[in-house]
Formats: sequence, structure tokens, C-alpha cells
Amino acid sequence: MRAAFSDTLVRLAKADPNVLLLTGDHGYALFDDFRRECPAQYINAGIAEQNMVGMAAGLARTGFRPFVYGLSAFIPVRVLEQIKLDIAHDHLPVILIGDGAGFVYSHLGTSHQSTEDMACTRAIPDLSVYSPADRFEVSACMALAYQTKVPVYLRMGKSDRGDVHTHDLSQVKAGQLLQVKAGQAGAISLIATGALVRTALDIAQASYPEASVWSAPFIKPMDSQQVITICAQSRAVMVLEEHSVLGGLGSVITEIASEFAPVRILRVGVQDRFSQHCGTYEYLLKEHGLDRPAVEQRIRDFLIAN
Amino acid sequence: MASFDARALRKTVLDMAFAGSTVHIGCAFSIIELLAVLYRSHLRYPGNDPQATDRDYLVLSKGHGVMAQYACMRELGWLKDEAFSGYFADGSDLKGLSDSRIPGLEVTSGSLGHGFSVGLGMAMGAKLRGTDQKTYALVGDGEINEGPIWEGALFAAHHELKNFIVIVDENGFQAMGRTQDVLRLGAIQSKFESFGFEARTIDGHDEAAIDHAIEQLWASSSTAPKALIAKTVKGKGVPFMEHNNIWHYTRLNQETYAQALAAVAGSAS
Repeated sequence: MRAAFSDTLVRLAKADPNVLLLTGDHGYALFDDFRRECPAQYINAGIAEQNMVGMAAGLARTGFRPFVYGLSAFIPVRVLEQIKLDIAHDHLPVILIGDGAGFVYSHLGTSHQSTEDMACTRAIPDLSVYSPADRFEVSACMALAYQTKVPVYLRMGKSDRGDVHTHDLSQVKAGQLLQVKAGQAGAISLIATGALVRTALDIAQASYPEASVWSAPFIKPMDSQQVITICAQSRAVMVLEEHSVLGGLGSVITEIASEFAPVRILRVGVQDRFSQHCGTYEYLLKEHGLDRPAVEQRIRDFLIAN
Repeated sequence: MASFDARALRKTVLDMAFAGSTVHIGCAFSIIELLAVLYRSHLRYPGNDPQATDRDYLVLSKGHGVMAQYACMRELGWLKDEAFSGYFADGSDLKGLSDSRIPGLEVTSGSLGHGFSVGLGMAMGAKLRGTDQKTYALVGDGEINEGPIWEGALFAAHHELKNFIVIVDENGFQAMGRTQDVLRLGAIQSKFESFGFEARTIDGHDEAAIDHAIEQLWASSSTAPKALIAKTVKGKGVPFMEHNNIWHYTRLNQETYAQALAAVAGSAS
């Protein structure tokens, strides 16, 4: 997934000299190719994220196409106001990349963990929020962000969980939910984003063969009609995300369903709490009840209760 | 032809502040001469088009002074008289702080420490494209409490943005009092110099001095970004407003409006 990210960035930059990559002193090995292939389009703005995002707005105003890279804990949350005022307010085509979202930095603690970024960015008018799950989605999301010329926050979480798609997604439209497993009407549906699409797929394949599974690479915009259709055809909906249950994908689906297609929805995510300990990524998922066995148990309990 | 007469600009500010019953008059009055000189002698707007792609950029980072900029934009014919008489009427376009949706205003500011960085991006863009466009970022002295100013100062010097000039409106006040009492700034010129800027300090109400200092800074062969520290008076032009921070917040009534108009009309040009 990270290779796809780097490859897509290099491809876009080589095709368009207006593409610039700004980094807040992050991405050491990730940008080796970019620095070699497009050195004049690379700007390390230093450990100074607020200035970097403001400058990206100024560069966009002069016709450049900035990609702004940082860790998800810093881009967007540390610079939320710059994103709101300097970029989103004027629809500037700046693409903000927040890497290492969720619990990727499991050993480093709260400063580097990011489970509120989607909630924060979603509420900013005219800002799109993308959350790809695999290399196909990341390439499609980046190409789409570049083509549509709107301000985008692109969240990259745990990147080594394997593909959930089997083919190129170049035809994808912003807001679309992508089916990664077909199911039957009247069964349950699982909707997930980012790294937890893999978990949803694994659980459905093992335990709920009749369930449909959807990946949501777009948190905003969201194709409401598609959500309504899925909810209307499902006995219950399980939403999975490596993000707070407050304001993320679970909220998006629930908001739409409650108005147009009421259905029981289980929101599986971070329960409004910080990590208490450190350990491997798998350990942190377990601490937050987001490991596969814990999620399966929650789904079982939910289906028994409902 | 626009003259950018300081008295006329101050009168426009008073008229619109009274019409809109609005605040921040003192913030606008300290930058009248700075803006007058910039618009009259330095900023290039080909075809008098505020959105010309090869224009110079004036970034009002201290968005609270926006009425002074509106007054200049009126002289340029970019704003109609109705926008002034109807200032703050429901549904009107001109806001109490700089909003980039108005052609001629480059940034949305008011939250401080933003425009400086956006201006740096514009200066960097001009440098990358190899154009001779210049970027002027006007910041308040209180505003330079903000961290991004100093992040950006490092960047500007490191990348030798010689096409960028920050103008500091050093009126000595910020929202809650004197800058000296709130958060001491020390020697602003030395601070910018220590970051790698070429800097000068002038009387920010002396138009000839402003003009000369800007000429000199641009004439420099140095690759350093520039800083012009303008010593100004908050509320300049109306004696009862000068150095009186209540005019950051106070609205005009019939009586103070009349007194202020008389003071501006009688002041030296």
C-alpha cells in the first residue's frame, strides 16, 4: 500500500510539474523514489506543520498542486484551523496525507496515535475525507483527489494487511461504497474502512457466508442512496473502523440510516478512550476490542440481543 | 486616478464603521499610510485587475485592519459605494475581517498567524515559477505572538525568499492591552534579523519614509527575505482614539462619529 502511494505520487508528479510534495520532516524511506525522480518538486518544510499547511494554500493559489504529508496525529489534527481557513474555505486543491492513522504507532503512545482525525475533518465544510484500505484504493483515492481538484484529507492507516480488492479501481467515484464480498438480501452487512476492511472480510468469510461486506474508502462525500439501499436490505449493519465511534464511519452510516432506512447498527471502533499501554499493533487492537476475536464476539452478542 | 490620501481613507473607514456600527477602527487606522504607499507606489495589478495572475500579492494577515484595505480598494474602483453605506447589512459581502472571497483580499484572516504562511507559499510559488511577483504580508505586532510566524520566518530565510516582505504594524497594542504587558516582543527588528531577514524600522505614518524603506529593501542584492518594522499609533488620526485601546472594541455613536470626522478633516495630510 505504501509502495502504491509512492508510485502514484511519483507518476502524478512526473506528469504534472505543478505537483509538489511538502513534508513536515517525515517519510524518510517512503520518499526515496520521489526525491530521486522529482527533486525540484520536493519541499521538506521542517518540523513546522502550521506554516507548511498555510504555505500549501499559498502555493495552491499560485497554481501548484500540493500534496502535504505528515503523520495523521499531526496532519490534520494539529493543523485543523489552517485546513479550515487557509484551504477548505477557498476550495483550494490541496491533498493532505495523514499517515500512520489509528494504532500504527502502537509502541509510541498517544502522541502518535490518531483515532479522532476523521471526526475532526468531516465537520469542515468542503473538505473531502478519504480512507483507503489497500493499494488499489490508495491509488484510486489519490488519482481521484488529484483529478477532482477539491481539498482532500487522505487517511492512511495500517498498510500491510493485504489487498481487499482484486483489481484496479480507476473507475471509482467519490462517495462510492465498494463491495468486497457479495451477500444475500436480509442477511447482515458489514461496512468497514481502512485497515479494518480486512477484519470485516475475514469475519464474514469465516462466520457469516451470507453477509455482504463493503469497504468505505470515502467518509465524505458519502453516497447516501447506496447506504440507504444497503441498510434497507440488511437485517443488521456492523460498522468497523480503527477510529473513535464518535464522528467516524459509524456515525456517517448511522446518521443516514436513522433518517432514511432505520436498521440496527453496531458501531465497532474506539470507545472514546486513549490507549492505556503500549505493545504491538495486534496488542493495541486487543486493548481496544478491535482484534478479530473481540469483534466477532461483539457481533455475536449484538445479533443475539437484536 | 486613485490618490490614496490618508485623510480620505480614514474618512471612508469612519463612514463604514459608523454605517456598520462596527469595531476595530484603531486597528485600521494604524495601517492607513502603509497601505496607501503600497497601493500607490508598489503593488502591481496589471489592468487594475485584483485577480490578475501576474499581480503582486498583498496579504493582510492582521485581518482586523480590513477596513483600511476596503478604503483603498474603493479608490481602485474594486468596491462600490453601496458596499460601504451598507456595511454589515444582512446578506452583505464585506465582513469584519479579511475574507479571500472578495477579489483583492488574498487571504481569510482574523485568526492570526495564517496569512504570513499563505503569503510565504505565494512567494515560494513565484520563486518556483521564476516570476518577479512580490509578496507583502502585513502582520500586527500582537500577531507575532503566534508560532507559525516564526516557523515561517525560518522557512523564508532558509529558502532565500527575497521576493517576500513582512511588514509589522508595531502599534504597541493587542486585544487586551499593551504588547509590552501581555507578552514582551523585545526588539522586533533584531528578532527578524536573527532569523536571517534584512530588516528596517521606520515611522509607519511617514509615507516618504515607508516608500523609501521599501525601495531600499527591494534594491538590496541580498537573497534574504525582508522585514519592515513600522512604528505606528493605534487609532492614528483621531486624537481621542490614539494609543487608546478601547477603540479596538468601541463603536461610534453620532457624537464620536462627528468628532472623529472633524479630527480627520483637520489633521495634517
